[in-house]
Amino acid sequence: MLFPMKILVTAKRVEDPESKIKVKPDGTGIVPEGLKYKINPFDEIAVEEALRLVAKHKGETVVVSIGGKEVHEQLRHAMAMGVDRAVWVNHTGPLDQMAIAGLLKKVCEKEKPDMAILGKQSIDDDQNQVGQYMAEWLGWGQATFASKHESLDSDAEKSKTPALVVGADGKTVKVVREVDGGLGTVECTLPAVVTTDLRLNQPRYAPLPGIMKAKSKPIEELTPAGLGVDVAPKLTVLKMSAPAPRKAGIKVPDVATLMQKLKTEAKVI
Amino acid sequence: MSVGINRYKCDLRELQFVLLEQFSYAGLAGKAPYENWGEDELKAVLSETYRFAREVLGPLNSVGDREGVKMVNGAAVTPKGFREAWKGLYEGGFKQLAVPSKFGGQAAPEMLHVAVEEILSGANIAFNIYPGLAWGVGELLAECGTPAQIDAYVEKVFNGKWGGTMCLTEPHAGSDVGAVKTRAVKQADGRYKIQGTKIFISGGDHDMTENIIHLVLARVEGAPAGTKGISLFIVPKLKVNADGSSGESNDVALAAIEHKMGLNGSATCTLSFGENNNCYGELVGTAENIGMSQMFRMMNGARIAVGLQGLSLASSAYLNALEYARDRKQGPHFSKFKDPNAPRVAIIEHPDVRRMLLELKSTTEGIRALVVKLAMHRDYAIATKGKDDEKAAYHQGQVDLLTPLVKSYAGDEAYRLCGQAIQVYGGAGYLKDWPVEQYARDAKIFSIYEGTSHIQAMDLVGRKLGQHGGANFQAFMNDINVFVEAQRAHPAFGKEAEMLGRAAEAVTQLAMAMLGWSQAEKMDLLVLNANRFLTMMSQLSVGWLLLDAGVKAQAASIRLTKGNQESSFYEGKVASALWYARNVVAGIRAQADMAALEDDSAEKISDAAFGGS
Ligand SMILES: Cc1cc2nc3c(=O)[nH]c(=O)nc-3n(C[C@H](O)[C@H](O)[C@H](O)COP(=O)(O)OP(=O)(O)OC[C@H]3O[C@@H](n4cnc5c(N)ncnc54)[C@H](O)[C@@H]3O)c2cc1C
Repeated sequence: MLFPMKILVTAKRVEDPESKIKVKPDGTGIVPEGLKYKINPFDEIAVEEALRLVAKHKGETVVVSIGGKEVHEQLRHAMAMGVDRAVWVNHTGPLDQMAIAGLLKKVCEKEKPDMAILGKQSIDDDQNQVGQYMAEWLGWGQATFASKHESLDSDAEKSKTPALVVGADGKTVKVVREVDGGLGTVECTLPAVVTTDLRLNQPRYAPLPGIMKAKSKPIEELTPAGLGVDVAPKLTVLKMSAPAPRKAGIKVPDVATLMQKLKTEAKVI
Repeated sequence: MSVGINRYKCDLRELQFVLLEQFSYAGLAGKAPYENWGEDELKAVLSETYRFAREVLGPLNSVGDREGVKMVNGAAVTPKGFREAWKGLYEGGFKQLAVPSKFGGQAAPEMLHVAVEEILSGANIAFNIYPGLAWGVGELLAECGTPAQIDAYVEKVFNGKWGGTMCLTEPHAGSDVGAVKTRAVKQADGRYKIQGTKIFISGGDHDMTENIIHLVLARVEGAPAGTKGISLFIVPKLKVNADGSSGESNDVALAAIEHKMGLNGSATCTLSFGENNNCYGELVGTAENIGMSQMFRMMNGARIAVGLQGLSLASSAYLNALEYARDRKQGPHFSKFKDPNAPRVAIIEHPDVRRMLLELKSTTEGIRALVVKLAMHRDYAIATKGKDDEKAAYHQGQVDLLTPLVKSYAGDEAYRLCGQAIQVYGGAGYLKDWPVEQYARDAKIFSIYEGTSHIQAMDLVGRKLGQHGGANFQAFMNDINVFVEAQRAHPAFGKEAEMLGRAAEAVTQLAMAMLGWSQAEKMDLLVLNANRFLTMMSQLSVGWLLLDAGVKAQAASIRLTKGNQESSFYEGKVASALWYARNVVAGIRAQADMAALEDDSAEKISDAAFGGS
């Protein structure tokens, strides 16, 4: 028998890596004009995995996003993919990882999911902290960097088999995770926090009928105050700057010169 | 699955501009019959379609070109990956977007539909022809079929369970469809036995669906000669069982697959019906001898689709050439040509390359505006039908009038523009390492199938100009005049608006001259000038819509700081408008002057004088 699962996933709004991102001249942030946004790709993988688990086990999926009204776009995207309903934590202004984890913790306490699946990091700040904080503060198990043995071209992937394996009693989850130099496996007691790595699955397209259906799925609004979380940043961004542009290459006459330059100029060997 | 790499490019910002800012989609969205279609849905659909196009269809484009369609044991085998792509296309609902909800679709407005089709076609034109034909079969049967036929076929061809084709052409019946010889013999049970050969049938056989529904033009025994004696039949590849499942073979044989210049992933088939006297069809609807007008319902949609195909390839050719031009370094800037030590510049800095790029940019944008305008009229024709007959007639009239323009101008220009995109690359563009040579080969067909450019031109001058006592043409000219009057004093576009006004006069003048020729029995002049007239009227439309876009873009850019992405986008729209007006619209008058010479040398010259042997 399979136990129904309730799964909470996240959908952070991030800058689309395909738009040209420029840092403001004064270094206070990036230029927002003309930027495109999308759902954090790691979160999209989390959504996909949740949908597969619920397709197998039955149950419910809930997606959470924190931000201004514009995050509805990402919530709708997740719901267009198939998530049942959304929770929107309405907040504008800077948030650090601890504030985000604090808000998500409260949402988890309210929603009481069997599992929270998050991207291992978001591609804007690449911090890789929220899942870990959250699990610690909730006192839940955690399995970070979830991946799988099968390749993304495998039959298991084509038939949308979930990579996370829930125990027959519905009380544990077994997670294959990326570790330095390979894969490892952990088993956690549920509820647990899982964060996704890139090779966990290939997220589905939002089918066009799904886009229309998403319109009528509910979005519940919450606020940091209502959740009782102090979101005042403990972390301050002092300055942002673009990476130094790549220098033009040079041609060297022979291998000896190359070796010499690598040693004395580039100092890499 | 993706063995090739994606080369398709589309500028979603530009699509959104045309839909939302130029043709105010908002005026349509959220109201009957498009209640569910808001701006957010439009944006989500476009970006999801583009993603599917890049990740699934695009990588298969060169694969289809290299592999082609193979004939194995009498059946067509499509290129690697096509079957999965078909599945993904329908699972994602991309092809059901504009299908009426009663047939399981999303009933989206035509404006959005054409934008989505542009993306699907552009990513892989050869592939997109197969589902496009299935769609056309669904549309035709939904309108002309009996309730039983609608039940049996429509949903299945709309949702990709079955494929579809349109079978007009025969060896001796190409442009002259009235010459078809395929025979239909009525049986006691009401069915017809079909016998004959059709050639050049796109998607005539393939391995992506379990069954294929052929719509076949044929002649019932004893029917009158010419187009008046042609009937339309539903002829499935496999007989359809009483329970709706596909059964035994219906004696439709794949006789050959053509080897072509382009479109190699699309099976162009010779089909042999009833070789064993065991091929059965049913009449579409209940009446014989109305096959041509029934088929035209599919043809009109198909003609617009061909225009879209042209637009989609030309546009991707432009965006690829643009990227290459920014990267490729060659020669010094012309202002420093005497200095051997001057730095080498990217070819986009050479004025002639910029000219080519701007021509590609403005022409594709103008054609896109024309296609979307046509689609907008279709939407309003539907939205106003039965509520405001005058408005509905106006909108439908514009659809009819603009269809040959879209088919021909977009079709003809696509080949020329893809050739020009190759020119931007130089030698590299001629190589298979880059996508533009395939685009050019694929694009040549657009001026031929669904009626050659001349057939379109004759449709325009012979039928559409005079339709409803000339009311459609007058309404079109009136719209242009209103624009010219409104913008005559515009600080940035005033001169160009005046130019447009003069071009409109020239087009009207040639239309009057043609009327005169036809009354004076000078039909040869009419026919000799038909293509010219179609081109002039297309250029006039495109010039008008580009100026309209320019005016709107300039107004929108005022509040923006110069140099950011958005303001550069609007600046580009202004440049497109000015370039086309000064380099194309300005030449329309000269074409009218040429027509006024009443040159009939092409008609007068004797066959022998053409030379050759
Ligand atoms: C890749 C491909 C796919 C196709 N797919 C389909 C399909 O799915 N279904 C289908 O039924 N057909 C299909 N066709 C056929 C296509 O529609 C015909 O090729 C087209 O209609 C032209 O007919 P034709 O080739 O016989 O040329 P012709 O009719 O012989 O024309 C040759 C030339 O003569 C001109 N011409 C012909 N008649 C006249 C006239 N009366 N006055 C002035 N000029 C004239 C034409 O404009 C053209 O320039 C396809 C063709 C190709 C190449």
